Amino acid sequence: MKDVNKKGRIQLAAARTVAYTILIFLAVLCLFSFYMLIINASRSNAQLQGGFAVWFGGHFFDNLRNAWNDASINIPRGMLNSFIIAACCAVLTTYFSALTAYGIHVYDFKLKKAAFLFIMAVMMIPPQVSAVGFIKLCYRFRLTNNYLPLILPSIASPVVFFYMKQYLESVLPLEMVEAARIDGAHEFRTFNQIVLPIMKPAFAVQMIFAFVSSWNNYFIPTLLLDKAELKTVPIMIAQLRSADYSKFDMGKVYMFILLAILPVLIVYIILSKSIIRGATAGAVKG
Amino acid sequence: MKKRRGVSYSKWGYIFILPFFISYILFSLIPQITTFYNAFFENYRNGLSQVGPNYVGFGNFIKLFTPAKNGSIDILRYFGNTMILWLLGAVPQVLVALLLAVFFTSFRLNLKGQQFFKTVIYMPNLIMASAFSMLFFTLFSPVGPVNQLLMSSGMLEKSFDFLGMMIPVRLLISLMNFLMWFGNTTILLMAGIQGIDQSMFEAAQIDGANSLQTFFRVTLPLLAPILVYTIITAMIGGLQMFDVPQVLTNGKGTPDRTSMTIVMYLNNYLQTSKNYGMAGAISVVLFIISAILSLVVYHTLSKPYKK
Amino acid sequence: MKKLFALVLAAMMALSMLSFAAAEEEGKVLNIYAWNEEFKGFFEKYYAVPEGITVNWIITPSDNGGYQQKLDEALLNQEAASADEKVDMFLAEADYIQKYVDADATQDIAALGVTDFSNAYEYTVKAASTADGVVKGVSFQCCPSALIYRRSIAKDVLGTDDPAEVQAALNSWEKFEAVAADAKAKGYYMTASFAETYRVFSNNCTSAWVDAEGNLQFDPQIEAWIAQTEKFIDNGYTLTAGIWDDEKNVQMFADGKTMCFFGPAWYFNFCMGNAQDPEKGCSGDWAITEGPAAHFWGGTWLLAPAGTDNPTIVGDIMNTFINNEEVCTKLVSAEAQFSNNKAVNAKFAENPDYGSAFLGGQNDVAVFSAMTDNIKWENHTIYDQLLNEGLQNNLQEYFKKNVDKDTAMSNFYKFVNETYPAIVTP
Repeated sequence: MKDVNKKGRIQLAAARTVAYTILIFLAVLCLFSFYMLIINASRSNAQLQGGFAVWFGGHFFDNLRNAWNDASINIPRGMLNSFIIAACCAVLTTYFSALTAYGIHVYDFKLKKAAFLFIMAVMMIPPQVSAVGFIKLCYRFRLTNNYLPLILPSIASPVVFFYMKQYLESVLPLEMVEAARIDGAHEFRTFNQIVLPIMKPAFAVQMIFAFVSSWNNYFIPTLLLDKAELKTVPIMIAQLRSADYSKFDMGKVYMFILLAILPVLIVYIILSKSIIRGATAGAVKG
Repeated sequence: MKKRRGVSYSKWGYIFILPFFISYILFSLIPQITTFYNAFFENYRNGLSQVGPNYVGFGNFIKLFTPAKNGSIDILRYFGNTMILWLLGAVPQVLVALLLAVFFTSFRLNLKGQQFFKTVIYMPNLIMASAFSMLFFTLFSPVGPVNQLLMSSGMLEKSFDFLGMMIPVRLLISLMNFLMWFGNTTILLMAGIQGIDQSMFEAAQIDGANSLQTFFRVTLPLLAPILVYTIITAMIGGLQMFDVPQVLTNGKGTPDRTSMTIVMYLNNYLQTSKNYGMAGAISVVLFIISAILSLVVYHTLSKPYKK
Repeated sequence: MKKLFALVLAAMMALSMLSFAAAEEEGKVLNIYAWNEEFKGFFEKYYAVPEGITVNWIITPSDNGGYQQKLDEALLNQEAASADEKVDMFLAEADYIQKYVDADATQDIAALGVTDFSNAYEYTVKAASTADGVVKGVSFQCCPSALIYRRSIAKDVLGTDDPAEVQAALNSWEKFEAVAADAKAKGYYMTASFAETYRVFSNNCTSAWVDAEGNLQFDPQIEAWIAQTEKFIDNGYTLTAGIWDDEKNVQMFADGKTMCFFGPAWYFNFCMGNAQDPEKGCSGDWAITEGPAAHFWGGTWLLAPAGTDNPTIVGDIMNTFINNEEVCTKLVSAEAQFSNNKAVNAKFAENPDYGSAFLGGQNDVAVFSAMTDNIKWENHTIYDQLLNEGLQNNLQEYFKKNVDKDTAMSNFYKFVNETYPAIVTP
């Protein structure tokens, strides 16, 4: 008995060593890009022009001040705008994708299979295909300088739907829905109060992804938003990058890229907590 | 899956999926149909004046598949590039993510500093792809720190043109895609594993299964739906690979167009001339390829685990 | 006499009433499209906007072609747009101005009261003119581009750093190549980028990129650039870096080994940061001269779209930035621009106290003023910007020896087919 225990302990220690080694290696790789970013954000435009360096340039606070005070962009405003759009997208895309996935997973109806196949098929269409047509549509219906065309399309995200569907398949026993019905719960209430809590980890995951991709979205917003007070972070960064030669300052650009990461990082840390807490929620029923 | 009888509930199915379909039809389907429809027309802009639309039948497809003077068919080359770039990045991405997800969820290993690692591995995904590529571009430029380091340590005499050689460029693109997406995949799989009923693991432990057995007999089968999702979306994402190679090679797919992906090719047609005809034809081809591949993957992977 | 006076008075009154009525009819919102804030800065400093007019800047970064895409959609939608949404004025660069000048979306600025181009440089007017001579815009800056050389290297190679003598030694391509060989022998590069001399050749083409039937054609000047660059690369006279690459920029430091750069005032004032670096730079060790051939680089034009509802003010803005002496003087003295007003520039050129510290006290306005007459604007097409870029990009791989010349050219043709379906490639 003791022998087995000892062997097990050695095995465990070995496994832990392997795990930590791999994790530390990957973490270093990941942090390296941030290290480069911080280095660049601390260097003046002249230093950046002179090529890349591996050590700080001593202009971190100059860049911060310059970026913050740049008259052509309003960083807090941009962040607020981006936050509003990204938060709305994250909520809408997860809720409606889960609703759709639930609808297809739980109910039997004539078009069920057709609907599922349709969504799976359209998932394969690259976004570039509809982007240009979408822009034209927005111009035609005067939807420029409006957040709705940036937010509403997120209701229909085939990829998120597919994830929710797969997740439901692995965690939701249909008996649970039946039990709720027997208890007299309304269909929407069943979804909102019984199914949603079970799906918390899935929601957290997809909310993070949706938030990040909306936060970093550049192409469509830049063509739809031109009022200074409506512009989002990526548009402002692009604006700094295409500044004319007398104002061009890569130090500011890197600084803004760095600043733009902070809010998403915070959102990630908050939401990733509920992925972990989801572990207990998943064990609700066996 | 158990068949249900309660027909009276079927209207709820329609109600639940309605918002999704309305939004999809309005914002995506209409533009997409126009694009696909345009595949059969000559339709582009020359400066500010519009040429077409003129019906050309399958003319755009024929043009797409007409071999160049040296006998190679461009779209197939770019498809090949896309697959190579994808495989180089996505295979390690899914495998590493699976490993990490198991590490993080293992009660036996009970790793310390999990929150730190989980945050750090996801961080590259937070940087805009264009900014990320910009960093790598400067890092590996002929006067960049990597070359400086290699030269000062005596390993190189002359600076090495990483961004001008096929293999280094492809490896860099794959490395960047890997770094940007493995954290994302890890989180997906982790959430999937968290969703698995803990009593299953406990039962396996009581039965005396070791961790390898638990992984293959319990974790993997129960994780199958999420894993299928991961592989299919990684594949679709791979086929649609665009921003990293676009920014790293300035849209040129250097060297000699060996890092030109299909969507970069599509973008070349749209960027200046708004050539909906050719772009539409490429979209149709890409759609057909993706659909076939996804169906094959979905069926081969889902079947064995479906009870 | 009295009668005449009364007549003139009446005419003046009628005129003023007319213009008053016109002003009354015009819109209150002035929409100006631009890709950055350069002109906006000058506009806000030097132009007094009439009361009651709101200026709306629609600034779309040029990344990914965003600016032209946005502008094109707006111009094509101009008729349907409401008065306050119409494009009233927009900015365009030399590289793609032809696309807008040739289109019906822009209008003759004579109708806006802009008719006096006597002070503007000829090429800037031609650039904004259609083939029939209708002028559709003006440039607020003139960008003659010079050969910028390192004085210390010139002394070492040529034995002199005097601009006139350097010019005499470099005033043709044959001489330029001969000096490149001498520079190489002393351990220097002639230029730091394979594309450094491209504009010097391409600005002097005698044929357009595309012939009347839509066939792509190579001008002898372009062929000459390719031949010269092949020689320069093979002999190690230049580097394979692009014109904006770090690899080129580090050559501007004091320890750089490159003798010549090419660029206008904005280039050495704002883009040669490495040379101006207080520690590693070499400010003052530079001078400019015309070089082997006259050419220009860049410049921003103000264009008037058809259908603007603010014709009077748009015309007034254009007149201000080319004909208002005070404003043009400020552009030179306070903004380091070479203005598009010959009379104003001449004053700076003749001022013995005026000079650039970066150029070792040389009067750059004088050099540029002398050069401008030789600059041509001929044989441009709406495709120039991307054909020039595409050729350089694809040949760069050949110059780097990554592909052979035929492959590089066939990749260029692929690029042309994808970018401009209307052009027939060989």
